[in-house]
Amino acid sequence: MKVLYSQIKELVPGLKAKPREVGEALTLTGFMMDGFTEVTYKGKKDYLLSLEIRQNRADCLSVIGLAREVAAYYNLKASIPAIKTITKNNKKLDIKIEATDFIKRVLAIKIDDIKNQESPQWLKEYMAFYGLNSAGLLVDLSNYVMMLTGYPSHLIDFKKTEGTIYWSINNNFKEITTLLGSVTKLNNNEIIIRDNNNIIALAGIIGGKTDSIDINTNSVIAEIAIYDRSIIRKNSRSLSITTEASRRLEKDLDPNEADYAMKMLVSLILKYAGGKVASSLFNYYPKKYTSPKIQFDKELPTKLAGIEISPKDTLRILKGLNFDIISKNNKLTVIPPTYRMDVALPEDLAEEVIRIHGYNHIPTNEIPHLEVVKDITPKNIILSEKIRDVLTVLGFDETLSWPLTEKGINTKVNYSDLNEITTQNSVNDLFPNLRQSMAVGLLNQMNEYFKKGVEFIDIFEIGRIFGEKNKNYLEHDSLGILSASKDNTLSQYKDKIESLLRLIGFVDVKYFESKVKPKIANPESCWDINVNNQNIGIIYKLAPSETKLNIYFTEIDVERITKMLTKVDNNPVVELTQKLISLDVNIELDKEDSIFDYLKNLENKIDRKNIWSINVADVYQVGNKKKYTLRVTYEELSDKKAKEIHLKAFDKIS
Amino acid sequence: MNEEQVKTLLEELKTDLETTESSLDITKLWHKYFSDNGSFKLLIKKIKDLPVEEKKTTALIIQQAYKEAQELFAEKENSIKGGELSGNIKSQSENFNPSAPKIGHLHPISKTIREMNDLFVSMGFSIMDGPEIETDEFCFQRLNVPADHPARDMQDTIYIKEPDFLLRTQTSSIEAQTLAKFKPPFKIVSPGRSYRNESVNKSNHFVFHQYQGVVVTEKANMKDLFGTFQVLFKKMYGEDVVTRYRNKYYPEVEPGVGPDMQCFNCHGKGCPLCKGVGWIEMGGAGIIHPNVMKMAGLDTKKWVGFAFGLGLDRWVMAKYKVTDIRTLLGGNLGYKYYENESII
Repeated sequence: MKVLYSQIKELVPGLKAKPREVGEALTLTGFMMDGFTEVTYKGKKDYLLSLEIRQNRADCLSVIGLAREVAAYYNLKASIPAIKTITKNNKKLDIKIEATDFIKRVLAIKIDDIKNQESPQWLKEYMAFYGLNSAGLLVDLSNYVMMLTGYPSHLIDFKKTEGTIYWSINNNFKEITTLLGSVTKLNNNEIIIRDNNNIIALAGIIGGKTDSIDINTNSVIAEIAIYDRSIIRKNSRSLSITTEASRRLEKDLDPNEADYAMKMLVSLILKYAGGKVASSLFNYYPKKYTSPKIQFDKELPTKLAGIEISPKDTLRILKGLNFDIISKNNKLTVIPPTYRMDVALPEDLAEEVIRIHGYNHIPTNEIPHLEVVKDITPKNIILSEKIRDVLTVLGFDETLSWPLTEKGINTKVNYSDLNEITTQNSVNDLFPNLRQSMAVGLLNQMNEYFKKGVEFIDIFEIGRIFGEKNKNYLEHDSLGILSASKDNTLSQYKDKIESLLRLIGFVDVKYFESKVKPKIANPESCWDINVNNQNIGIIYKLAPSETKLNIYFTEIDVERITKMLTKVDNNPVVELTQKLISLDVNIELDKEDSIFDYLKNLENKIDRKNIWSINVADVYQVGNKKKYTLRVTYEELSDKKAKEIHLKAFDKIS
Repeated sequence: MNEEQVKTLLEELKTDLETTESSLDITKLWHKYFSDNGSFKLLIKKIKDLPVEEKKTTALIIQQAYKEAQELFAEKENSIKGGELSGNIKSQSENFNPSAPKIGHLHPISKTIREMNDLFVSMGFSIMDGPEIETDEFCFQRLNVPADHPARDMQDTIYIKEPDFLLRTQTSSIEAQTLAKFKPPFKIVSPGRSYRNESVNKSNHFVFHQYQGVVVTEKANMKDLFGTFQVLFKKMYGEDVVTRYRNKYYPEVEPGVGPDMQCFNCHGKGCPLCKGVGWIEMGGAGIIHPNVMKMAGLDTKKWVGFAFGLGLDRWVMAKYKVTDIRTLLGGNLGYKYYENESII
């Protein structure tokens, strides 16, 4: 919304603030200034403020609405000019309202003996501020009233109409030629204004060419209508037509204030184009809008803002915004003006008070006093962070990629029993499907690196993979790890994967030939990764490609391994206050026995209180036996005590 | 310069190579002989100053010596690296730098998230995530955005199955999920991915990242919200950061807040980056709307909360000087070997 500083000043006579200050005040109170331009209007220097109106404030898509805001902020009175009542004429207009479900109010009146002509210079200048070309006096006046009051009005050349004028739901017009001359195909079910034979306008959006105003027009029907905002939004979107009118009518416009806009329009037409009122005012208004009565606690602004806002200031601000206040038995009832259709709750009122009081009065340099609460971070987030740490230490770079993929990619990388999920309406139709494996993004990244001459590639990504089963949409965090170079080997790669698994808490890693192998995998080199008798992912070598790289890929279900870990901690850090003491012990196992199983049992049997670590220091094979040297390191013990515990512990085991 | 000088240099290299045993020393040798200011490069540069009649012959001698020197160097380098480094690091060294061990990098988005998470965890926040395939209920309705609300214009949605299933358009859906699942009091932050039905260009993407924060306690207020934001701004942009907080509309909050940072490019004077207004919008925030609390079954007389959402990609791009949003996820992101903060 654009507004001239001079217009604000005219409506707020006591205003002393400079143009930029007014823009900054409006920004603070909710209407961000995104443009400030020096202009000339009516031969004088002026300033055009461009403001973003995000909120449901149709009233502020007008000069009058913004002037009210400025007055409230500066604690001044806005002087909205009064307009004389329209001269009565008893002749009724032939109008019928059919689309009653979607129409809140229609005002219409006929004016005869008008002389349409070129607009005066000031009006042409004004239209130019809004990027509108002057379209003759009548149309320009209609637009001018819209900018001043916020109410879109529409002028129909009465002599071009045929019979009754209807507000209907479209069910037989296939297209409309708009007053701009473009032809728009209609979908049916739009709200339209029509006569017995022709479509006159897409209601609330744009007028049609057939009955539009031209330079010879001398009799008009002026109409202002308020619709259910959702139908205007729906029609505007489906027909891809957005206008100044539709922007306003998509928000809640107060039906009551339409009278004021109509009076202004008629008075301006009579003043500048002559003519006389030739009908009574058609007024369809089946359900008058009244403001809600809101019970309000004067302390609420203080509670929400966190700073003291006195009840006196609260009441002053609400009154300055033209809210009625009724105080009875120590209870406060606040009634907003009807044009404040966005205010319905006590919290809405509190916002009004706080924003006019000024957000700049809330200190920013105080440490927030937030109470101590329980940590509810899910384990998978902590685990993912740990995985990132470990993999970067192991030399892998993290990449991130799009979860949406090209057609046909999932069939090459998928190894789950889930169906592919396809988006319905993505404008990026090259990427319609949600990925089913992290391999998708990592392979793309690998190719990009390879194209740029990087021949050694170690990368990983943690992200979501998706799939559908039994009409349920499923997703989970997944870890993909890819290694590619000309001379790396599977055993080197596998060592790193096992290092990762060990560091996050999994020791006993087994591999079984995969039951389902992705198409990109080398079928001879594709295994399921098994830990504690559960499959946690897949590891495979990719089938040979043109790059001649050895490419290995692993995918691990982060959600599954999170569930398997009873506890996920950050890498432990301890303070060492005494030297560590390392003592060895030799053990002998059958060749087939797992040292990991042995260590696991060991953990259960000996007191871990003073043990810092247990490592396999040496291993050699003698016949069917394997001999291991275990190095046990003790902490916080004297040499003597450590030896005593060591002998006792391993004697007991042996 | 004569042939003798070239031979002497070559002999010097051979002697150096014989006494070199580590990858660090071999790197030093590379710099001594083959870098732009190395002995061989300096020799080559001198050719242009020679008399015309000497140029051709001397150039040939230097060329042969240079070739031999390179071969000798490569042979020694391979023997050292082959002995002490794994194959992976060897390849790495060929591509990047011969001496440093390979340490991986986090993605700039993850690094930024980690920095922000660390800050919030130090303030007692938990970290939370939620589904990326969301329902209309959790993405819109529970956030006070009913079906016909104009706020939906702000975000065009990618649907999985219209109208109920969609890709979340905002991480506020995690707020709705957390409000539904956990009993207050709680303080959470949620870095996450969101999706909008936008064509991809330099500054817009259909996949982007947001950083959401939610606090529900008995006493949360706007002063706490501003204080929290200010701590974050200072952590990310330094003590001298200039901010402002203004009223801004979002359907899920009331009162709503727009936190802005003074434009770092023009320091508030107005420039093309900030569209002439001197400020850059950094996100949205506010006191959680009573309708949102009620839909989660929370008693608004007892509980009050604030929420904020930040466009994370914008923060990352400003920090790492990335000018094209597609770089962040599109495969063109590289890591300079020594300068972790820079991106090729």
